[in-house]
Amino acid sequence: MDFKFGEKAEKLRAEIREFVKAEMPPRYIGKQFEEETTEEFWAFAMHMSKKLSEKGWLTLSWPKEYGGMAADLWEQAVFGEEAFYWGLPGLGMGISGTAWVGPSLMLFGTKEQQEKYIPTIAAGDPDGVWCTGYSEPDAGSDMAALQTTAVKDGDEYVINGQKVWTSCAHHARWLWCAVRTDPNAKKKHQGLSLMIVDMKSEGLTVRPLENYAGGHVFNELFFNDMRVPAENLVGVEGQGWGQLMAALSFERGTAIGTAANAKRIVEELVIYAKETGQFKQPQIRHKLAELSIDIKAARLMALEAIWKTDQGQTVIHEPSRDKAFCDIIQEKLGRIGADILGVYSQMDLGLPDNRWTQLKGAVEHLYHFNIGLALAAGTTDTQRNIVGQFGLQLPRAY
Amino acid sequence: MDYSIGKEQEMLRKSTREFFEKECPKDKVRELKTEPKAYDAKMWKKMVKLGFQGLIIPEAYGGMDGDFIELTLFMEELGRNIVPMPYFSTVALCALPIMEYGSDEQKEKYLSGIAEKGDIWTLAQTEKRANNEASEIQMSAGKDGDGFLLNGTKLFVPYAHVAKMMLVAARTSDDSYPEKGITLFAIDPKSEGITMEVIPTIAKDGRCEVVFENVKVSKSDILGQVDQGWEILDHIQQQGALLKAAEMYGGGQAAFDITLNYIKERKQFGKVLGSFQAVQFMMVDMQAHLDGLKYLVYNAAWQVSIGESSRSLNSSAKAKANKIYHEVCHYGMYLHGAIGWTEEMDIGLYHLRTRSMIYDCGGTDLHLEAIACEMENEEPAFIKVFGSAS
Repeated sequence: MDFKFGEKAEKLRAEIREFVKAEMPPRYIGKQFEEETTEEFWAFAMHMSKKLSEKGWLTLSWPKEYGGMAADLWEQAVFGEEAFYWGLPGLGMGISGTAWVGPSLMLFGTKEQQEKYIPTIAAGDPDGVWCTGYSEPDAGSDMAALQTTAVKDGDEYVINGQKVWTSCAHHARWLWCAVRTDPNAKKKHQGLSLMIVDMKSEGLTVRPLENYAGGHVFNELFFNDMRVPAENLVGVEGQGWGQLMAALSFERGTAIGTAANAKRIVEELVIYAKETGQFKQPQIRHKLAELSIDIKAARLMALEAIWKTDQGQTVIHEPSRDKAFCDIIQEKLGRIGADILGVYSQMDLGLPDNRWTQLKGAVEHLYHFNIGLALAAGTTDTQRNIVGQFGLQLPRAY
Repeated sequence: MDYSIGKEQEMLRKSTREFFEKECPKDKVRELKTEPKAYDAKMWKKMVKLGFQGLIIPEAYGGMDGDFIELTLFMEELGRNIVPMPYFSTVALCALPIMEYGSDEQKEKYLSGIAEKGDIWTLAQTEKRANNEASEIQMSAGKDGDGFLLNGTKLFVPYAHVAKMMLVAARTSDDSYPEKGITLFAIDPKSEGITMEVIPTIAKDGRCEVVFENVKVSKSDILGQVDQGWEILDHIQQQGALLKAAEMYGGGQAAFDITLNYIKERKQFGKVLGSFQAVQFMMVDMQAHLDGLKYLVYNAAWQVSIGESSRSLNSSAKAKANKIYHEVCHYGMYLHGAIGWTEEMDIGLYHLRTRSMIYDCGGTDLHLEAIACEMENEEPAFIKVFGSAS
């Protein structure tokens, strides 16, 4: 038993803190999905992508031949922890560039695809910004029910259908798109494929989907006889589901970051409540203390999953357990934080620098966004289904 | 970072689990509810032979010289089987502080008695206010020649009625700070002036009211220094809270497993209970909290084992244990349906222990307050990097 990070990982942590001090606005608080909401935020995020790429941190987990640092899992864990604590923007290269497009292409892509797409992601170029098209109006948690079709026509696929909740489509150069290539497959998990789609394609319409709090993160995509070169198929036609599951597991393993972000906000709230005198009240102190216990527990569980992976053990339900656990923390933190801010918690999310906005709007952001965060990458209840079935070995309940 | 349990630790855990499974099945737990001693003296003796009481005691005093993680794993196994016995009071509440604060003579005499003979010890701390704070300790220890005279009443003292010795916290001087002026004495419970009776607690776990009337103690009975006893009580509370949390994790996980097995078998509407999503989600959430508790306990125990005990981790473990142990017992019984509420099922045996465990070494609010104090005084990383100007 040992609960300390190794020297290499701790050295990276110290380097990141140096970087933060030099490159980030003082007391910056990161907010998930904020960078997509305005041109100004987006420009800052892309500026930071470049800086991070220069450090090698944008794709630190990738093998060196693809422009990565081949960082071990513990360095990745420390990086995830620090990135979310400090709120480093520009890490995603859109939604998915660094997290799963690159890694999936390394696993399933052709050499040509790897050479064409991977370097721009690693370099932090605007050309390496990706969005992801999984969800559809009738395929949410039940992703395998997707209906967008891709029909082979010579050396092209003709794609028709619709995607929804497509984060970052308004900034992305490419779309990582799940489609149905065999509508006659016996089971819904069969006959799916992954495609790379140029966001400048004819027949593609992007419609902004503003969220209820007035921010633009999501979009709807409409495909009307959109033609995609056959060489843009990823992996094997009809094997999309397996490839998708591999890609999703990259997406779900982020609990360590969520815990670090929550830790930061709790620390900010403690400073705030000390200044206002609220921290003297037992009900405030104890609520924040209770949250801090769950945040510590979440961190330890996320590290357990990383340790198991590092040991070569197969991690199946743990990331789902951790995502669900963190969803609940974020919901509580948003609510308790907003209660501490009281009347100031009603500020417009788009005005982090307004003189009445507290803590740069981080608490309000979480209060409104935690609902979206709980739904993204598998809802809290979808995760519970997975844990029930695979963790507790109970009959499938959905 | 290493989440694995060492080879020796794993062996100890395995042999402990096998021992308690064999020696303390649930029928035995039920039987001991009517045993006035509230423990099984034969089992206790067998444990002495196996070295369990001396697990963490140095070899020089007849112990096994185990580390704190091993003791933590041992407590987990004790909790899993809800073994009624004075192990916690003897080892966690007394042997550990004697190891830390005892004189050489005291260590020689007391620690070898525990390790080699299985002497039972207990701590008499709780008084009427019962809040585990220094202000609670009102029992007077007035000067009496070279020694002291103890007067007052202690409550819910575990296993005092069978103890060979007990540590007693009393006030040797008055100070405006309640933490000052407390002294710990090692006393024979059969000393003149001590009377006691067993308090009828729901778990029948040998909690006693101990009344002291002009009980003479000498200077040599003091553990540590005069008036400096709070430091020792705090030390006991830190390690005791953590070890109790380990016991509660073991118990909580066992109560969970009992429930999980039940909902995999019991059928209604032609399906096993566990196939209903409402049931499944309750279980999934509880298991996540149990996993969290496990690693809070292990992390805190590891901190102790490297000599860097963490107040906020110890308190986090205990506060989390208090919450989840109750929940698992409560909802575990609920998920059993009416049968869970009967004496026949094992789950209730766990729930009977909820109330005493929650208050051993501090209730939830006390530990939340301890964490809040740490949060208040800690300088967060972002202040270190950017300074305090916002």
